[in-house]
Amino acid sequence: MKLFRTAARGLTGIFCAGFVALLAACAGSGEGLDANGNPIVPGTSTSSPLSADFESIQENIFTPICSVCHAGGSAPEGLRLDAANSYNLLVGVPSTEVPSLMRVKPGDPANSYIIQKLQGIAAVGKQMPDGCPTSQPCLTPTQIGFIQQWIMNGAPPAAASTSAAAQSAPFAVTSIVPDSMESMSASPPQVMVAFNHELDASQLVTHSAHFEKLAPGSTPVVMDQVPAHLAIPGANPRALMIWPARALSAGRYRLVIDAISSSQISDIAGQQVALGAPDERGEAVISTFDVEVLP
Amino acid sequence: MNQRSLLAAVAIVVLLLLRAAPAAAEPYLAVMTGYKCNVCHVNPTGGGLRNDFGLTYAKVLLPAETVDNALDSWNGKVTDRLRVGGDLRTDWSRVTTPNSPSAQSFSLEQFRVYADLVILPDRLGIYVDEQIAPDGSQNEEAYVRYGNTTDGFYVKGGQFYLPFGWRLQDQTAFVREVTGINMTTPDKGVEVGWEHSAWSAEFDLTNGAANASTGSGYQVTTQVVYTKPIWRVGIAGSSTSSTAGDRRMGGLFAGLKTGPIAWLAEGDVVHDDSLERTLVAGLLEADWRVLKGHNLKLTAEYEDPDRAVRNNQETRYSFVYEYTPLPFLQLRAGYRHYFGIPQNNQQNQQQTFFELHGYF
Repeated sequence: MKLFRTAARGLTGIFCAGFVALLAACAGSGEGLDANGNPIVPGTSTSSPLSADFESIQENIFTPICSVCHAGGSAPEGLRLDAANSYNLLVGVPSTEVPSLMRVKPGDPANSYIIQKLQGIAAVGKQMPDGCPTSQPCLTPTQIGFIQQWIMNGAPPAAASTSAAAQSAPFAVTSIVPDSMESMSASPPQVMVAFNHELDASQLVTHSAHFEKLAPGSTPVVMDQVPAHLAIPGANPRALMIWPARALSAGRYRLVIDAISSSQISDIAGQQVALGAPDERGEAVISTFDVEVLP
Repeated sequence: MNQRSLLAAVAIVVLLLLRAAPAAAEPYLAVMTGYKCNVCHVNPTGGGLRNDFGLTYAKVLLPAETVDNALDSWNGKVTDRLRVGGDLRTDWSRVTTPNSPSAQSFSLEQFRVYADLVILPDRLGIYVDEQIAPDGSQNEEAYVRYGNTTDGFYVKGGQFYLPFGWRLQDQTAFVREVTGINMTTPDKGVEVGWEHSAWSAEFDLTNGAANASTGSGYQVTTQVVYTKPIWRVGIAGSSTSSTAGDRRMGGLFAGLKTGPIAWLAEGDVVHDDSLERTLVAGLLEADWRVLKGHNLKLTAEYEDPDRAVRNNQETRYSFVYEYTPLPFLQLRAGYRHYFGIPQNNQQNQQQTFFELHGYF
């Protein structure tokens, strides 16, 4: 009993001290941090209050809230909402849950699947952010309103990507999802290749693509082929999307571009860039990745 | 002796009988009464369907006013073997965020129904916790339970909430968000539990949230709680292995009753290998039973989302008044103020809410 009384007195002291300490605890000053609480790297910009433009939505919503889950090889529905990939995987891209709806349909927020998911009225799946309103707050009507307004305005990309400086830079691939040797937790809905300039869609007719399933081992041995089709989303001509004709089973895959003339692709100004690197047969491999799917 | 007095007398007798056994309730009620979770809930780790004593407590001891006759026959049992219950929460809330117009709305927060089928008394049963609304039907818990959940070992197999710290009603508490273990994040696997005298212990082997679609690892969670009439202390740990990155968590929590006030505290540390960050969260809660049926809840919370980054801490303070005028009906009014880095509007929002909570 003496031990218990001593323990109770000790707990009382700890509670009192802890309560005082917590009441006195202050929130961080935010000094040296951006709006998401990340340290500011010299030379980069700081974030601003939420507004109806893509940069602001990315900084205030997609990065701090959505990309907690929607990032990397385990991103739900293959939708990565980190700053490098979100625009290209959202705008003009069919949703995987309701393929008849675009994730973002420029000019039409009511028929943009992202709005339905955020409002909790989508035909499939849960309201986003996952767990709202119980385990985390839902986006407020004001926040959703800014996204709706951005879509209503035509869902333009970040101003920096369309600036004169960006346009004068050499034509180049800016990101590939999934990138080489990435491990995916499920069959990717699509492979996305993003560019810094608008693509010349007329060239696409000379290209086709397929996925090759490789046997284990250091020497590439093709076990299976999955046809794919390519498209440049009309709403986002800076991205090339490649969809497999069927879901990819577990294994290692590479995406191979078939070109009638060459594996080069052009922007609207005629600059060319190579799509992928040549494999042992000289075909252009855009990406090699692993799919880990439950049996 | 009228029925009201008789019911109160029965409740007191049940209370006295159960003092010898492990017991529990909503966390502050558990601390206030000194009981373990399984005194009021079918689920030995707490929450969800209330058992005979839980319903008696809800009918007689919790509300400001009891109701004679109308509820006497209600004990949650549809048959001798099947018991049902539920919780419905609906609210009006207003959120004020800096640099944005205030937003308010009515919403149906939650409608859950529970059922427990006893196949072999005190040995074998099936438990289900189903969220009916919002967002359509969604299973939260569904498991087979074998063994004695009041004194001895038991095993659960299926889908269930993991045991880690205080099972708070507020799922947005920092300690519940940082750990990712709360009453909206059940997991699938097996739990071995042990209840004896003042001790409760659980060991869980589950998929782990990070492995839900990949099957690339497991989550191991364990918790031990020691409960005395006016205080309790618990320790919890969890480790998730996953190709997405390993995650390890540790937590300490305690409760103390001082007169009419129940104190709850919890501190958690979480390390994410994939993000190479360590998070810390703390909670202190004081529940003052002002009068029968009236509870004033004050909460102070702290979160450091990355120990390696300076000046990024967040705090939250809550003031909630809970009034239970009648059995199975609760009115809650609350105000929460978040304090975070000034450049993030969301981290400095204020919430006001009025909630209607019906349960049976």
